[in-house]
Amino acid sequence: MIENGFNRRDFLKVLGWGGTAVALSGCGNTSIEDGKETVVSYVEPTDFMIPSIGVYYNSTCAQCDAGCNIEGRVREGRVLKLEGNPASSINRGKLCGLGQAGVQAHYNPDRLREPLLRNGDKGEAITWEKALTLINEKLNGLKGQEIAFLTGGVSGHVKVLLNNYLDALGSKNHYAYEPVSPSVVRAANKKAYGVEMPRLHLDKAKVIVSFGADFLGAWISPVHFSQQYAQFRKGSRPEGRGILVQIESKMTLTGANADRWIPIRPGTEGILAMGIINALGAGVPADVAAAAKDYTSDRVSDHTGVPAAQIIKLAEVLKANSPSLVLAGSAAEGYVHGSQNAAAIALLNQVLGNVGRTVDASINLQDTRLMPATGNRAALQVLNDNMAQGQFKVLFSFGTNPVYTAPAALKFQENLKKVSFKVAFSHYMDETALQADLVLPLDSALEDWGTSVPEYLVDPYLSIQQPLMENLNPDTHGVGDILLSLLKQRLAEAYKPYDDFYSFLRSAMVLNKAALGGTGTDDDTFWNDTLGNARVKLPATVANLSPRATASTLNLPSPAREIGAYPLRLIPSVSASMRDGRHANLSWLQESPDPLTTVVWDSWVEIHPKTAAKLGIVEGDIVEVTSPNGSVKSQAYLFPGIHPDAVSMPLGYGHEAMGRYAKDTGANVFKILDPAFDKETGELAINETNVRINKIGKRVVIVKEEGPNGGSQLGRKKIAVKVASNKVDLSKEV
Amino acid sequence: MSVSNLLENWSKFRHTHPVEDKGHPDWEAYPSDIKWAMAIDLDACTGCNACSVACYAENNLPVVGKEKYSHGQAMHWMRIERYWDEDNREFPDQGAQFLPMLCQQCEAAPCETVCPVGATNHTEDGLNSQIYNRCIGSRYCSANCPYKVRYFNWYDYPTTENVWPAPMEQQLNPDLTVRGKGVMEKCTFCKQRTYTARNNAKTEGRKIHDGDVQTACQQACPTNAISFGNLFDPESRVAKQWEQQKVELIKEEQEKDVKPGNELRGYRIFEELRPYPSVMYLERVRESDV
Repeated sequence: MIENGFNRRDFLKVLGWGGTAVALSGCGNTSIEDGKETVVSYVEPTDFMIPSIGVYYNSTCAQCDAGCNIEGRVREGRVLKLEGNPASSINRGKLCGLGQAGVQAHYNPDRLREPLLRNGDKGEAITWEKALTLINEKLNGLKGQEIAFLTGGVSGHVKVLLNNYLDALGSKNHYAYEPVSPSVVRAANKKAYGVEMPRLHLDKAKVIVSFGADFLGAWISPVHFSQQYAQFRKGSRPEGRGILVQIESKMTLTGANADRWIPIRPGTEGILAMGIINALGAGVPADVAAAAKDYTSDRVSDHTGVPAAQIIKLAEVLKANSPSLVLAGSAAEGYVHGSQNAAAIALLNQVLGNVGRTVDASINLQDTRLMPATGNRAALQVLNDNMAQGQFKVLFSFGTNPVYTAPAALKFQENLKKVSFKVAFSHYMDETALQADLVLPLDSALEDWGTSVPEYLVDPYLSIQQPLMENLNPDTHGVGDILLSLLKQRLAEAYKPYDDFYSFLRSAMVLNKAALGGTGTDDDTFWNDTLGNARVKLPATVANLSPRATASTLNLPSPAREIGAYPLRLIPSVSASMRDGRHANLSWLQESPDPLTTVVWDSWVEIHPKTAAKLGIVEGDIVEVTSPNGSVKSQAYLFPGIHPDAVSMPLGYGHEAMGRYAKDTGANVFKILDPAFDKETGELAINETNVRINKIGKRVVIVKEEGPNGGSQLGRKKIAVKVASNKVDLSKEV
Repeated sequence: MSVSNLLENWSKFRHTHPVEDKGHPDWEAYPSDIKWAMAIDLDACTGCNACSVACYAENNLPVVGKEKYSHGQAMHWMRIERYWDEDNREFPDQGAQFLPMLCQQCEAAPCETVCPVGATNHTEDGLNSQIYNRCIGSRYCSANCPYKVRYFNWYDYPTTENVWPAPMEQQLNPDLTVRGKGVMEKCTFCKQRTYTARNNAKTEGRKIHDGDVQTACQQACPTNAISFGNLFDPESRVAKQWEQQKVELIKEEQEKDVKPGNELRGYRIFEELRPYPSVMYLERVRESDV
């Protein structure tokens, strides 16, 4: 037994707690939260609770928007570990590091424990009753347009309640904002294929050419795509081992796994796509061929920096291996002309005949109310502008941290001050919660009820999130419960039948059981089955795919060569564990090395060794990265996988608040980004910031996993070994 | 256990498979019908670190923080090493190489022979085990490990600030201990899981089936790069892979090394040192013609 930290008395307390807690989910049992700390003898065991045996309960991962189905191991009333649910069509029993760290989000020592009301610079603890009454008072007499709700991506029944609440207030101001979202690709897909999120079949492609789509790292549904990728790489499948080509200015995890990684001048991805179309030669529809006429390999090579021979080779490989799959990711879309890049890449897919084969129709749910409200940056812009004009009196925020993620140029924090009453639903005292007037502490994802529908739908399933243990803190509430309480203030009669969000959810599901495959079962059986599986099939249709990418509207600007005050292009990177920084306070993720640089517990500046030599920078030099909007300081890391005209820094670090692990760890790159936007969608053009780099005369030893020899194997033959594909027989491998 | 008892029964406490007095083991006489082994496909591995996080969650590994990490005191039983090609090209245009590195559970483990107190030991199911309460912290084993996969508790992590601040200690897996200051620890092939699976099989009066047990890293791996099982069970996936790649446990040179043009890609790291590791790697494949 551990000394000090976990003594015998604590151990007994946990057991006692477990004895009651395992009944789960507020079924009215006595618990220590009622103030009665009862040790229940195992003579009267709770269902499914066997001392020392772990029991698995299914639920849904809330760490990112991919919505993987998980199972949590529960022992003696505590959730210990999260695994993937093998029955899931999304993640099939697997779970990424970010997902597994969900258990740390639950047990996080820096979680908020009680509602806090601003009193000068301090937060004063108040009761929930008082908090809710206060909200009601502030809302009274306000017009709908004076109230706004800012959220991250939200779906399922919480979204339904949220919309109902806004309706009850007469407000139409729901702003969904995700700092790192595939909204440009969404719009480009809609234009090119008729659907926003076509289902992709990486496993059926013979060749994948990805323009900066980090599908193994942080793109849309990485665990799902990783599984498809594993199939794609199998030499024993009929198509043989697939070939992956990754084209991007800064190597992502996917790029590190490519057969060929092609560094490209930032922003010229669309030009290269047109160059490949041009090089395909015969077989390209006449109008497309005409549009691609000027994109000769020499000209394209001059613009993109990709050798002409490589462009011709790529076209040959794509021609010889059908079906293929061409992807456009954040590296290609993060420009003022991002939509044009994505459109050119979609056109290449269509020319290659992949639409309908590796790019498949998406699924439409019959009940669109459950579909996710997908966020983008344009929504934040509208909110910001309206705040600046003083339109809003009350602002709710949930599931997003704009004070941290909004570029400084937006002056978001300043505009936020013009809202007289700001309510933050939050897990941590993060940067946005710090600016709020009232902070409502939320249950963790392992304590709360909810349903979710991921944006990228593999199958039409509603995923159920259910509590895996009782609340750690008696004074946190679920977001559904809070919304329900607020709704009752407005529409008391309509919501009277529902004691809590659980009963609302149960009623909503049970009422619909015929549509949910529960015909002929009684309510309790249906509900128990649903919770047991934690996923239920929804009525849905397959959308129509209408390939209609066209070359006629394409407008790809030639690259501007930057010289002058800001000679380098800043490519902010989205890592699989840090993402937009919302999980920066999870210590496993801070200590999990970045796969490519192996740096831990800090941010870094990736510089190509050639550029570094020119600037006289060596590894560990603290450099100041300055854009027209500000500057950040961080340690230089010499990285071969980046275009010499670019530097890269990871997003998600440099929090000023949030908790002990996140605070003051690294630098926040969001702050120095230019307010440049994609012309068609208004999405932040994340790669459009130019910077200059100065040494500040300080040097540190970078803390990283990599040893003093860097990535060298010191000439040893048998450590990490690579073999050419024609030297092995993969066809019969088990 | 007294020292005299230890000395008198040295051979009992110190199994030294496979180097019995004959030099090579007599597999017929292997103490059990289980030999745990692993195969890691480097072509499938993407270097995503999910295995490493899974190991932290399963095995109560402490998060040591930036300063201790810089001293080389990270406790990651499963770590991903990243290498670059060394051919002086301007860009790594064939990507990086990722190598999941964990205890190789050697049959003739260099760490076992140097332990002064018999704390590093060989189990009857072929694992290289660490007996925490026998360990005196000499760290000879770590010095002698060619893979550097043994981790020493320089601090008493449960009482160290911000390692498991309350209520984080509630996440700890009660199936295994939290190690105290001054002992060596290492990957156990998820001993607590194999142990449970063996007991379950025994209760049901049957042998272990392939799939009865998954290690935490294997279970998490999004690309199924890791397979784990009983090498003595010809039906297990791992045995089939070893067989197919013609890698034999008690050999320091395999068919792949001696026969040119063999089209095999299974290998073991530092085989030439003759530790007879239980982890086989499958070479990363790269299409050269793009």
